[in-house]
Amino acid sequence: MTAQTEREVKSAAAEPAIRADKVDFKMVTFSLAGKEYGVDIMSVKEIAKAARFTYVPNASTFVRGVYNLRGEIISVIDLRIFFHLPAVRKEEEALESLIILKIDEHVFGVIVDAIDKVVGIVSGSIQPPHPIFGDINVKYIKGIVENGGKLYIILDVEKIFAPEKPEESRSGALEARKAEALPGSMEPSAITGGDVSASFVSETLAAFRGFHVTNVNAAWFQKRFAEWKSERKGVDLQLREESDADHFLEGFWSPGTGALWDDVHAAEFEKALPPIEVKSINVWNPGCGKGYETWAFACIMRKRYPDARIKIWANDSDLLAISMAPNMVFPESIPDYYKPFTAKGRNGLVFVQAIRDSIFFEFHDVMNTNTLPPLDLILCRDMLSFVAPIDQKRLLGDFIDKLKPNGILLCGANESPGEGWIAAATGAISAFRKEQ
Amino acid sequence: MRVEYINPFVEAAFNVLREVLQSDVKRGELYLKSTSMPVMGVAAIVGLAGDVEGRVLFDMDKPTALKIASVMNQEDLKDFDDLAKATITELANMITAQAITKLHDLGFRFDLTPPAIFTGENMEVSNADVEALIVPMETGHGKIEINVAIRERG
Repeated sequence: MTAQTEREVKSAAAEPAIRADKVDFKMVTFSLAGKEYGVDIMSVKEIAKAARFTYVPNASTFVRGVYNLRGEIISVIDLRIFFHLPAVRKEEEALESLIILKIDEHVFGVIVDAIDKVVGIVSGSIQPPHPIFGDINVKYIKGIVENGGKLYIILDVEKIFAPEKPEESRSGALEARKAEALPGSMEPSAITGGDVSASFVSETLAAFRGFHVTNVNAAWFQKRFAEWKSERKGVDLQLREESDADHFLEGFWSPGTGALWDDVHAAEFEKALPPIEVKSINVWNPGCGKGYETWAFACIMRKRYPDARIKIWANDSDLLAISMAPNMVFPESIPDYYKPFTAKGRNGLVFVQAIRDSIFFEFHDVMNTNTLPPLDLILCRDMLSFVAPIDQKRLLGDFIDKLKPNGILLCGANESPGEGWIAAATGAISAFRKEQ
Repeated sequence: MRVEYINPFVEAAFNVLREVLQSDVKRGELYLKSTSMPVMGVAAIVGLAGDVEGRVLFDMDKPTALKIASVMNQEDLKDFDDLAKATITELANMITAQAITKLHDLGFRFDLTPPAIFTGENMEVSNADVEALIVPMETGHGKIEINVAIRERG
């Protein structure tokens, strides 16, 4: 065992500015990727330096391994990887700074860049987290505090490490979701502006085609409804049958929906993709349907990032639609953009192995959990509008969790993810970054 | 679950069941599930390793298991004894192995673990964070549900 417990942490008394009697919150401070953080000292058992963690196969990437702390086996988590921050991988033998946390009965070790000191503060001076402290998801932050000219982000370790409560499982979550009131802005009535015919149309769209009018497509809906009114000269606005609903939705679809995108659109897409430095790019394409758009996107990615290792997870919950996707054969008449990526097969053109290897088509329902790695891009066109408003919210939350800090969400032409996202669009593609 | 994995399991289950039972087998509608689910009474489980990690669970009620074991042994078994258990275990093994062979031909390398069997009343499998594909099979002797959960290794 190579642990040498390090106890030379400077004491809180080093902060003369705060009188001891007012200090009611002490925290251990440390740094991660150049920023200062703190954790409540009550959840810190000790600090240590250690190396040579025992690797655990099949564990999540942020689990460095397990470690024998004086006979107690603890799991060691690399906080930098957990928060998708840059982590310098040290030599096998080099000591890492460890904070040993005790949450309820569980003991964990977390690896940080450097441990600083113990700081005593007045709990009243803790300010609520603000989204500008970007790198880390706000839900893991307890608050921000200023001390000795430095700004510390206090992490809520209990939230980070608390074992998933049983009620968070699907059946429980369902009940919770029912009880959870939707914020006013998501309410369809806010979008339809109290117009009875507009809310009628929005209801029938949901009933006939599963299209839900929410913030995601509010702008489009309002515009389309105004058109609809003038088209129908103000009378007979209701959608009586499915064909009416289809007619209403005609202009909603993004260009190239359900097909290989044409040359113009493919080129536009290629232009809209941001430069990505990393060697391997992870893409998620929920709701890929028959897979045409995924194939198109895979080719565009290959052309845009020729040197990167590209992995696209494409999934759909419609088994019939997706089952043909992996072995698709195309006619000779496909747009020229894709020709360099195809080879002649027995019955027509097929994509080359490099493209085929980059896509995983999966039969998966996005409402169930998945094990996707941190993502660089999410391609989710005209899909959000077709899940129930509560699930929309949940899915967008999932997107925020899974995207890397600079990740991009590519939406349908008439969709926008709303709050928490900022437009990153160039040209005709609607692309969004999460708000930092 | 990757689309390529689905057919080999469905086909293997269909072929093997039809062959060993010498009767018609109907496949129900496939669907996905991620909640904990009750087990009907007899559950045989085979683990998968290799390019992926996962498991295949064969779930049926006791009368069905007994009838299937009787047909496979060509004798009328009265209780769910060791012979019956071994027979159901072997059925699970046959189906999974045939599916793995088919997948191997498609270029996917899977290994499988020896099967295990669980029996009892009111059992429940709960790994809610795993999404499973359910393949319901309607045999002349009762229903078998094949529950396949596979994920790619990260």
